[in-house]
Amino acid sequence: MTEIGIIGSGNVGANIAFFIAEKGVADVCLYDIKDGVPQGKSLDMMEAAPIRRYGTKIRGTDSFDEVKSADIVIITAGSVRSPGMKRADVFEKNRALISELAASFKGSRSTVILVTEPVDLLTTLFVQESGMDVNRVMGLGGYLDSTRLRYLLARELGISPESVDATVIGRHSDDMIPLPAYCSVAGVPVENLIDAERLETIFAETRGAGALIVDMAQRASAYYGPSAVAAELAEAIRKDLKRTIPVSIMFTGQYGIEGAAMSLPAVIGSGGVVKVLEPELTDEQKNKLTESGEAVRRIVGGAS
Amino acid sequence: MSKVSVIGAGNVGATAVYYIAEKNIADIVMVDVVPGLPQSKALDFLHAAPTRGYNVNIVGTNDYSEIADSDVVVITAGIARKPGMDRMDLLKTNVSIAKSASQAIAEYAPDAVVIAVTNPLDVISMVALRETGFALKKVIGMAGVLDATRYRYFIAEELDVLPSDVKAMVLGGHGDTMVPLPRYTSVGGFPLTELMDEATIEEIVERTRKGGAEIVGYLKTGSAYYAPGASVAKMVEAIVKDEKRVLAASAFLRGEYGHKDIFLGVPVLLGKNGVEKIIELDLNEKERKELVNSAAAVRKGVETLESIYTPG
Repeated sequence: MTEIGIIGSGNVGANIAFFIAEKGVADVCLYDIKDGVPQGKSLDMMEAAPIRRYGTKIRGTDSFDEVKSADIVIITAGSVRSPGMKRADVFEKNRALISELAASFKGSRSTVILVTEPVDLLTTLFVQESGMDVNRVMGLGGYLDSTRLRYLLARELGISPESVDATVIGRHSDDMIPLPAYCSVAGVPVENLIDAERLETIFAETRGAGALIVDMAQRASAYYGPSAVAAELAEAIRKDLKRTIPVSIMFTGQYGIEGAAMSLPAVIGSGGVVKVLEPELTDEQKNKLTESGEAVRRIVGGAS
Repeated sequence: MSKVSVIGAGNVGATAVYYIAEKNIADIVMVDVVPGLPQSKALDFLHAAPTRGYNVNIVGTNDYSEIADSDVVVITAGIARKPGMDRMDLLKTNVSIAKSASQAIAEYAPDAVVIAVTNPLDVISMVALRETGFALKKVIGMAGVLDATRYRYFIAEELDVLPSDVKAMVLGGHGDTMVPLPRYTSVGGFPLTELMDEATIEEIVERTRKGGAEIVGYLKTGSAYYAPGASVAKMVEAIVKDEKRVLAASAFLRGEYGHKDIFLGVPVLLGKNGVEKIIELDLNEKERKELVNSAAAVRKGVETLESIYTPG
């Protein structure tokens, strides 16, 4: 089976391996600078295989070369947010780590998924410093926000979360841009089902969803939600599913923006981004996206 | 919808909740004494629901009363084993935690089946039985499923076959004296003894006995939770769906296998009433001796328990 490599075996990294195994997507190689942790967690997951009936293999490694040569590499290493901390505060903490990783991916033919926060800034940095094809590098931002929005819309309507589609673009931060016109229940636009004021409240709750978990847990951030969507993304690439998923990608002129990574819906298949979609935006949404793009460029460029 | 409560929102408890959610079999309440912890994990699980396709309600709380009318309550709360720490070292702390959990179960969920997971499991099961005052069949310890899944995986790895195709039975206490039964182990219907030589089987049996410690040795600051969580969910499913499934679990014995008045890992029929039947396998002399040895180890744990036990 084609291999998926995961850099970082904390809660997010390990649970991505776990979801990939549960879905039977591919064999997984788990890496961490803390030797023993990927090996221990891998063995624990393999010991669940007789019960969970998966035939995929998960193994821990202490070889960076091994993990980085996988067809799909998922980067989860780095610091996570503490209570009160903004995603941007974590940027300075994780910048050096991602720079160093990017340098080792020069000329790589892997497809890279970044999960480490702040994901848009680090995806921008990674593309710039690795020189990789923009379609082979994506960040997990809008997909997670969309999933949280789907859950909240489903809860509001009292229906199964699986029947709800939602689209959130822009930055994976308080500046995220939910697109009500691209949120639907079995094809019916949510704007027909939930009034505008109530929708705004739900959008606000979506913006705060990640921080809420950090605040509640006090010492840990969310990992089941992020891991589940990262595994879904890896599956779409591995199986060439051509699924439409909002991911953080380097803009190359969409809406007149370039040089910044933010989320847009994209068709995901073999190799990564097959096609970037451009939803119709209102002037307000377009302005917000432009401002966000400038902010990303400024933060990534300014601190170097 | 059935209701399952899990006491303790650490890694084992949370992973068990996740597996139960994935099976869509019950609404779930997760209780922990740490403010915010069960709440944050419950919300994180709900955020994963659209992706994973489950639709059960998951509540995190610090209030025991929310376990009211549960069909099954799982006790995972307790401190975990540190490297080099023997299971018995955990006894004092975990007994007192299990006591208050059991009292809450008796008060709020008097009809529940109780699954004890906290170690030392065969002893904690005894505490749960006493403090709830429930019928014997309503209190079960989770160990045999976990020991068996590890043993099954090691065999699958050695033979390079699909892990779930290996079927196996492990008896005895959840410790170094557990009794994996190669004679009752098969791969796609083939007896293990036809597929593997005795020396290799013995190596795997030894590795299984130390399976928990192997993970602790790797992780250094934690212990296993994926395989334990999956094992809990398997038992919960058998009870909630009244599957009458044959699984190895720690049950209170009254003379079965020649042992009585202790919890010991044996094959049981699990259904909505808990342990609906204890199945007595034919054991050869070696197996019987190993089981006597294992029962002695559990009995020693119970004696230690008696020395520190203050009822109520």
